[in-house]
Amino acid sequence: MNEFERTVQGTEEFDTINGVNFWSRAENTLTSPPILSAKDVEVQFTLRGKKLTAIRKCSLTLYEGETLAIVGESGSGKSVFTKCFVGMLDKNGSVTGGSIMYDGVDLAKYTTEKEWRTIRGKKIAMVTQDPMTSLNPLKKIGHQIQEAIELNQGLKGKAAKAEAIRMLEAVGIPNPERRYNQYPHEFSGGMRQRVVIAIAVACRPQILICDEPTTALDVTIQAQILELIRKLQKELGMTIIYITHDLGVVANVADRVAVMYAGQIVEIGMANEIFFDPWHPYTWALLSALPQLGIKGEKLPAIDGTPPNLFNKVIGDAFAPRNHQALNIDFLEEPPIFDVTPTHQVKTWLMDPRAPQVEQPDNIRRLNNRSLNIDTSSIKLDHPHMHEDREPLIEVKDLQISFGSGKKKFVAVDDVNFTIYRGETFSLVGESGSGKTTIGRAIVRINPTSQGEIYFKGRKINGKISKELDNEVIRSCQMIFQDPMASLNERAKVDYIVSEGIINHHMYEDHADRSEKVQKALEEVGLLPEFSSRFPHEFSGGQRQRIGIARSLIMQPEFIVADEPISALDVSIRAQVLNLLNDLKKKRGLTYLFIAHDLSVVRFISDRIAVIHKGKIVELAEAEELFRHPLHPYTKALLSAVPNPNPYLERTKKLLVYDPSCHDYSTDKPVWTEILPDHFVYGNQKEINEYREEIEKNDIELAREDV
Amino acid sequence: MKKVVNMNVDRSAVDTTEHKYHRGRVHVHSRAQMPEKQLFSFAEYHAAEAERIGYSKYSYWNSVWKNFFKKKSAVCMMILFVVLFAFTFIAPEISQFDANNLRIDNDLAFQSPNSTFWFGTDNLGRDYWSQVWSATRTSIILSVSVSLGQIIVGTIIGLVWGYVRKLDRFFTELYNFMDNVPTIIYMTLIALMIGQSVLIMGIAMVAFYWLGTARNVRNLVFMYRDREYNLASRCLGTGLWRILARNIFPYLISVIVLRLALSIPGIIAYETTLSYLGLLDVSTPSLGILLRNSRSFFLNYPHLLIFPASIVSLITITFYLAGNAFSDACDPRNHV
Repeated sequence: MNEFERTVQGTEEFDTINGVNFWSRAENTLTSPPILSAKDVEVQFTLRGKKLTAIRKCSLTLYEGETLAIVGESGSGKSVFTKCFVGMLDKNGSVTGGSIMYDGVDLAKYTTEKEWRTIRGKKIAMVTQDPMTSLNPLKKIGHQIQEAIELNQGLKGKAAKAEAIRMLEAVGIPNPERRYNQYPHEFSGGMRQRVVIAIAVACRPQILICDEPTTALDVTIQAQILELIRKLQKELGMTIIYITHDLGVVANVADRVAVMYAGQIVEIGMANEIFFDPWHPYTWALLSALPQLGIKGEKLPAIDGTPPNLFNKVIGDAFAPRNHQALNIDFLEEPPIFDVTPTHQVKTWLMDPRAPQVEQPDNIRRLNNRSLNIDTSSIKLDHPHMHEDREPLIEVKDLQISFGSGKKKFVAVDDVNFTIYRGETFSLVGESGSGKTTIGRAIVRINPTSQGEIYFKGRKINGKISKELDNEVIRSCQMIFQDPMASLNERAKVDYIVSEGIINHHMYEDHADRSEKVQKALEEVGLLPEFSSRFPHEFSGGQRQRIGIARSLIMQPEFIVADEPISALDVSIRAQVLNLLNDLKKKRGLTYLFIAHDLSVVRFISDRIAVIHKGKIVELAEAEELFRHPLHPYTKALLSAVPNPNPYLERTKKLLVYDPSCHDYSTDKPVWTEILPDHFVYGNQKEINEYREEIEKNDIELAREDV
Repeated sequence: MKKVVNMNVDRSAVDTTEHKYHRGRVHVHSRAQMPEKQLFSFAEYHAAEAERIGYSKYSYWNSVWKNFFKKKSAVCMMILFVVLFAFTFIAPEISQFDANNLRIDNDLAFQSPNSTFWFGTDNLGRDYWSQVWSATRTSIILSVSVSLGQIIVGTIIGLVWGYVRKLDRFFTELYNFMDNVPTIIYMTLIALMIGQSVLIMGIAMVAFYWLGTARNVRNLVFMYRDREYNLASRCLGTGLWRILARNIFPYLISVIVLRLALSIPGIIAYETTLSYLGLLDVSTPSLGILLRNSRSFFLNYPHLLIFPASIVSLITITFYLAGNAFSDACDPRNHV
């Protein structure tokens, strides 16, 4: 078949990159024996008397030594599916059909804990998402590892302790003897996750299931943990299942990728097949909705709507209602599985010979070019800060924010300066705990400031201000919150939530006027007006986030602080929200302060990006300029760690590690310097000079390339 | 159980009709009617269809009542209690004695229940039937009003105490100061210095009972105080009282209802203690006073204890069961 040939040709030239031979690994995988095979697995949960079918006849074969990634949005059943391999389903759930063959036994028939204990931990181990909750805070780290070793390896006493220390060393924890006697709170998040991994691999499992192992970690730490798991896999010859929603992580680790939707695997294939030659409309949508692939000024191809409610019986293809290219048959009959290549299966009617010919969307082909360096020079970018009559909307001068006092004083934000011009999207990027949210909240007057000034349209708005100015700031500066689950009042109807602001400020005439305003706001964010009489818990994450946006829009603000508005959302829904924010910006001339931890996401929507580290802004530049010429070592480290949804780039990337001790600020104090027009960097005189040389060198190189 | 199953059937029936309504095209064509060519052609895209959400027609209080009425035992006890309370007004009417104007007649002392004295007589030969019912009425009115009063005061103060950081210190110290002295001492002082009427005792009990409620509410407020939706409200300029009323109070309803229900028997018991110690005015009989009066004789004349004690027990059990059931019903996690 043509498809098959094309895939082979397409991958040939990339056969070996950086010592990783993709195609031969693919063949290895298929020739190595299957280690676990699940067939037609069905899992049901009973929730308040109703049956929810979380897994609908899902089949999967796992081959020895491979790394399989399962991708899907929350509720797609990716976690549940793998949890039934280790008998860790919640009490109200059970495997109601199918078989899971492992080592000659059918795990689906296991019911007692005793049976599961022969498999769980010993043969199949699991690493969970949150290292905070998977370690016992009252027990020493070493003992927790030792316990696992004693239970599953039969070692006792000194031998077990020695093994535990060896394990700590193996997962890259320095000073393992000393660390052995420490408690979980003495470890950082990344270190804790290493310990969890050590416990999981302590018993030499054949299969390791990693359930979102890096979701709770910063990008730089994430990259290190992925590296560690890869190293351990090589050493111990494990088979690994990764569960994640992050396509960057998938690109980094996976040999094979399975895409799950509504309790079924809709497409499975080798990593390069899924990324460069996908055929399921959902995979297309998932990949093209990535902000990393977006072109500035254009709409991201978003997936509308929300995943299906699995309480209802799904008829036909579960994705059909959200699929713009759905066929009539998609609504009637479940598609069979079609082979694209021997390693690549798709469950869609589009592959049926009777179906109309369709082409892969543009963005997929762009990914196929294996380059994310979209040629931006051809696009004339027009940034508000470049205008001659630019109007500063928000000015932050020498801002310092501290919490507590005396010995407990903690300076969260220090020496921060920036200006946001009317009409631009200004992004603030940094790791967790860097103070980015604190700055955002200080601007909307939730957090008090300790030093410095914040100006809104030239008027000082921090500290004590008059009641009228306070009201004006509230009306014109609004905030969008990170977690749509936590930021809506569950006990109020959408109608009240959205109209809260106008009620406070009496911005309506009568009841009818108020409900009309609410309906308009809901329509503006793409929700049905009839939703106003419902409660938030009936909505999905993306819809809730849009309710949050409607709530701030109804105030007719000029400036919006968007605090990680997409990081708690599923990949398929992120694009919706980003598009909405961009549309609103155009329509209403809004100005955004966009707070994020992922550089690659903000590149698409930002005019300018500021990078913040430990409460100080280290670099600030126009978005593309920052990506082209990062100067500060921290920016460089952050850029190098950014996950990239492209297996070739992701596996060849070189990770830079930022060490703050590379700065010597003892004599030469650092200053906030405008090194190029509109490109600021934080450094002392010596560093500034080095950065200048770097820029010159770059310019010369660029000039040479042009010639 | 049967009912539950039926309800589910109803719900799914509603779901499917909605389903068909949204997907008109599916409903109209079935596979047999659709030619293959059409089957494999592109379907129309409906944006509203993609936005479809799970449940609808949810109303908080409807669900609360529905869940509450599922608990048969609690509903039965509640009905029994209402009948009992109504009966406290009817009982004196059908009795031949007037509770406020009972004759003391030593010849008739300690009569066992008989056709004239339905509950017998006490040590002074007074009719026990009319005394018990009027005492029950007094006790119920006193305990319900004290409970409501202390819940209202306690909740309002607890909300402010928990939400306004600046006031935390003040209220904590006040709480420590008042809580460290046993309430019984305050009660004794009030009874001796101000007076012994039921009204004074009622007010005094409210004045001390709110402490526990306020602290309980304050601790609960801590759970919700720093949630993002409160920050969102502050961003919108919502005032303190509206945040407390709309953002925090609704989350505490189930706990407050439980506390209210449990404090009613608690206050009856406390009132009994006070009467027992002689701190209550004897002229208005309450169940506590009846129990106190009977204490010296009940070994020989058990009817003096049994009637008031069983009414106290009934009220206690009713509010315990009904309170738990209602509090469960108020918890939205138990709603579908």
